Formats: sequence, structure tokens, C-alpha cells
Amino acid sequence: MSGRGTKSFLLSGARELLFSGARPLFAIALALLTSAGMILATDANPITAYAALLQGAVGNFVSIANTCVRATPLLLGGIGVALGLKAGLLNVGVEGQIYAGAAAATAVGLIALPVPPCVHLFLAVLAGFLGGLLWAVIPGYLRAYRGISEIVVTLMLNYVGFYFISWLVEYPGILAEKGAVFPQSPPILESAQLPVLIRGTSLHAGIILGVILALFFHLLLRYSPFGFRTRMVGENPEAARYAGVNVTRQILMVILLFGGMGGLAGTGEVLGLKLRLFDAFSGGVGYEAIAVALLANGKPLGVILSAFFFGALKAGANKMQIVTGIETSMALVVLALAVLFVIAIGFGERRLISRRRKRGKDQAAKETQAYGN
Amino acid sequence: MEISLGFISDWLAATVRCGAPLMLVGVGGVYVERTGVFNIGMEGMMLAGSLAAIAGSFFTGSTFVATICAMAAGGLLAVGHAYLTVTRRANQIISGLAINFLALGATNMLFARLFPTVKARVCLYPVLAPAWLHDIPFLGPAIFSQSVIVWIAFILPVPAAWVLYRTSWGLNIRAVGDHPHAVATAGPSVLRLKYIGVILSGLCAGLGGSALVLSELGYFAPNITAGRGFIVLAALVVGKWNPIWVAVACLLFGGADALQLRVQTFGSVIPYQFPVMFPYLLTIAALAGFVGRTVGPKTVGQPYDPEGL
Repeated sequence: MSGRGTKSFLLSGARELLFSGARPLFAIALALLTSAGMILATDANPITAYAALLQGAVGNFVSIANTCVRATPLLLGGIGVALGLKAGLLNVGVEGQIYAGAAAATAVGLIALPVPPCVHLFLAVLAGFLGGLLWAVIPGYLRAYRGISEIVVTLMLNYVGFYFISWLVEYPGILAEKGAVFPQSPPILESAQLPVLIRGTSLHAGIILGVILALFFHLLLRYSPFGFRTRMVGENPEAARYAGVNVTRQILMVILLFGGMGGLAGTGEVLGLKLRLFDAFSGGVGYEAIAVALLANGKPLGVILSAFFFGALKAGANKMQIVTGIETSMALVVLALAVLFVIAIGFGERRLISRRRKRGKDQAAKETQAYGN
Repeated sequence: MEISLGFISDWLAATVRCGAPLMLVGVGGVYVERTGVFNIGMEGMMLAGSLAAIAGSFFTGSTFVATICAMAAGGLLAVGHAYLTVTRRANQIISGLAINFLALGATNMLFARLFPTVKARVCLYPVLAPAWLHDIPFLGPAIFSQSVIVWIAFILPVPAAWVLYRTSWGLNIRAVGDHPHAVATAGPSVLRLKYIGVILSGLCAGLGGSALVLSELGYFAPNITAGRGFIVLAALVVGKWNPIWVAVACLLFGGADALQLRVQTFGSVIPYQFPVMFPYLLTIAALAGFVGRTVGPKTVGQPYDPEGL
């Protein structure tokens, strides 16, 4: 009896492993296939198009650097979304947190502090993290203490953040550069800029920060009491409360943390790539980060892969447009289709569970019957 | 910036114009959330509707065909949303977000493909009122000089509210978002009601998209909806899921948008960003309970499992 139990446990473990990795890959393959059909419909050759895309994404050092640069905010923001997913929370507010974090990082990055450059950089990054964290205080409080869904609140705050930054860089005396043609902040001081990793490219240290944080959150979620509590709250808040977890506090902490990660995504963009704050600089990366986290099934390590995948798509799409004339928005279509296919296939898993549950019920019924006889 | 009568009259007219597309989308929004499905994808459905309307109007020269195209585009995306969220019980936010991405990417691609060089000239919705009515102060520009789709937008919430509150089918719609299992026990098909709600929201979003581009603009630009579908989600909260009040909220938000455009053009002491932020802040305040109690349909966002309770 116990032998059979172990065997089925192992089998189901292997099956789940296969599912968690195979599902997104299968979905991506389907998405690329569907998109190939769309490319055919525009009278272009999908093989030429994808070859150009691949070359633009990983063809040489510059394109690899490009891919990494585009993956950076997706990775940092995506980790935050993944963390939320583990606690059963959906962070739709990455875009707003990006703006808030970028504003805070810029504010610190513009002040000439009497400290060594690395300390200045650290302070600017910290400010960016705190900016995003503070931006999440309202949804955090409302969700944890008042039970108000974080989804609508974080979504609304995206627009508040967007217009808030637009105001900050336009109205004199706050962050706006004097005499600039466009509304923008002065350039970030060199001491607060993220170092460039490969000279001649725009690849900055943000990607390293992202990978380290992904590893950190992977370990945190898997092995720490904090991670265990987070997963418990995500699986079953009632059971978690019964087991003595302070669910309210846990939810608040997770929301503040994912806000901070969103802030870091914005920080990386201003301190590493844009080097100043301006109107609408993010352009929807925050929403893409959500899709990236979903494609990774909410696993921090998976986010690394899916962020690089989408970064590569975005970087390669430029090359594809030059070669075949297909719009760069193709990348967005592939991402959207991949997510749609992931959730469409997701039902298989659910059916598996319900079948297992049904089998369990039948078993129980049989045992009851046997006991009755 | 001077506050003159001319300014107010002009702003009023712009409020009506900016509010109308939101009001159309809002009607569908009420129905879909009342059936317990969150449709964040209305933004994308509206965008798809805008492009379909422009394309339909450009290629056939008929605003009627354009309207059908727009509603079909929104409805088609909605069928996808309904299938994923109702039949397959996928996460409604995720499905909606993906639909937004799909609409954004696909409209960009199609737009570049359909209108590569020409600035498309399209026919707009007709203005029905005779010209002499246009000169009536305030009412003229605000009502009589508006195109027929704006009138429809103002009329539609009334029958929508009547159906929702005065018919037994409307009762089913209202009940299914709060107590789907009770509805199932009473007889009506929960899945069918949810499908109808989602598809209605797609049709309305497509119609709203066509109102956005064919009532005055006459052109499409990438991401032309710019978050208007999300504003409607805000209006649903502020209007407490009642078609009439949602329409009022949409008009209010349209007014904020119209004010922003005017402030930006004429310059003023108020930064133009503040009126645009207002709808979002008001929504958060409404959710937080600062402006009355706001409780949405109970099961919004949750998948319906016919077997589980």
C-alpha cells in the first residue's frame, strides 16, 4: 500500500514538473506558429522573418546586450508580480510603481551628495525601491485591512503615477530641467548611474540586480518562514489564519515588497538606460511584466527565462521590421498569444486535479460501502 | 485662461463628446460585471472596435457597416474572453490583459498594413438635428450639433437600466454575479448568462470604439483609446454598477478629460495633469468608502464551478 503511494507520489511529481515547464514552452510554440500564419498573411516569409528576429535578438554582442537591456525591467517587475501570485495577489500596478520608483531614484540621483559614487548609487537604488514601496501603501492597506481588491486600486494608481510624473518633470521647481524643450528632468549625476557592463552597448548592471533578486526571491519563497507563510496565504488564507499566520500583515508585506520591486524596475530604467526622467518613459513595460510573470507561472526563476524570452522578442522585432517590414508590435502579439494559450491549456491541469479528486471520492465511497457491509 | 460663457459652452459640448464613447462601453461594463465576470479587456475590445470602424467606414463608405464591423471586432474578442474565463475558468484579469496586448499589437500591425501611406478619409456619423438648432446657446453645441451616436450613447443606459431592474431576465443577470449557485438551482443557465454578459460588453466596447473615432476624429492612431476602457472600469465603481449612475460617472470623467484638453491648450494655474488624475483618485476613494459604501457584485473575478459550492 505504502509502496503504491510513494510511486504515485513520484509519478505525480514528475508529471507536475513536466507540466510546469512544458506548458509555457508549448504555449510559446503555438504562439509563434500562429504568428507565422499572420506573417504569411502579410505576404512575408515567416522563416526569413524569424531568422531576422533571432539574429536581432542573439545574433551578436550588441543584439544580446539589447535583449538584456529590454529584459531588465520585465525581470525586476516580473519578480514582484510573481511574488504576489504566490500570495494569491495580482499586481496590476507595476506601471505606476515603475513611475514612482523612477521619480524617487531620480530625485536622489540628481543631488550631489558628499559620499563615494557607489554609496550614492546605492542610495538612489534604495530610494527607487522605497518609492515603489510607498506607491503600494494604499493598495496594501486597502487589501490587507479592508479586504478591498488590490486589482482595481493598483490599476487606477498606474494612471495617477503616469500623470504625476508628467507633472513633476513639467512644472518648474520640482524635477524639471530649466530651459528644456521637452518636459524632462536634468541628467542623472554620473555617480548615481548604474555602471555599463559592455562598453559600446547600453547594457547596464540592472540585469545583474534582476538575476540576483530572482535567485533571492526563489530561495526566500522556498526555504524561509516568510516564504512558507506567503505560500500558505496564497493557497488557503483561512487555513493560514487557523495555523496562526498573521494573514493581514503577510498580505501587507507582500504588497509592499512587490511595490518595491516595481519601483526597482523603474529605477533600473532611469539610472541605467534613460539617464533622466521624462514623460511616459515606461511605455507599458509594467503591463508586459505582468504577462512575463504569468508566462513563468509565477516562479521567480521562471521569470528570468520568460523575461529574457520577451526581451529577445522585443529586441529581435526591430531587426525583423528592418528586414521584412513587419511591425514591431508583432512581439506584443506573440506575448499575448502565449499567455492566452497558457491559460487555455491550463484547464488540462484543473481537469487532472478534479479527476484525481473524483477518483478519491469513488475510493471513499467504496470504502464506506465495504465498511457498511 | 478666462472662464467665460463661451468657454463653458465649449467645454460642455466637449464633455458630451468625450463622455459618449465611455457611456457606451459603460453599459456593457455593467452587464458583464453584474454577471460576475471582470472584463479588463474592454480596453482592447474598444481599440479593436476603433480600427474596425475606421476600416469599415473607409472601405464601404457606410457608417452602418462600420458600426457592425466595430461591434463584431469587440464581440469576437469577447467570445474569446468568455470562452477562457467562463468555460475554461481561467483567471479573468490575465485573460483580459492578454486580450489588451493582443488588440494593441494586432491593431498596430493591421493599421500599418491597411493604411500604409494614405491618411484615410472616412465618413463620420451623421448629425441629425437641423442646422438652426445648433445656434441655441449651450444646448446647441452640447446636444444638437452632436452626431447620432452621441444621442444613442445618452439613450442606451435607460433601456439598459430598465431591462436590468424591471425584467426577470435582468434579475437573472443581477443575481448571477452575486449568487450563481442560487441562479443555477432556480433554473437559468449560469454559463449562458455569463456568456451573454461578456459578449454584450464586447459589443458595447466595440460600439464605444467606433463612437470614439467616427463621431468627430475620423482617423485611427496606434493605441488611440489610451486607457479609456480602464476609465470605464473606474466609472463602474463610482456609478455602483447601475447603468444610469455609471453613465453619469462616464460623463463626469469625460468632463475631466475635456477640461484637461482645454487647460493644456490655453494654459492655466491648474496643471493639466490634475483633472486627468481625478477619475482614478475618485475611484480609489469610492472603493475605500470615502464616498458612500461601494460593494460590487460578490463573485466578480471568481470562476464559476457548477459542482463546487
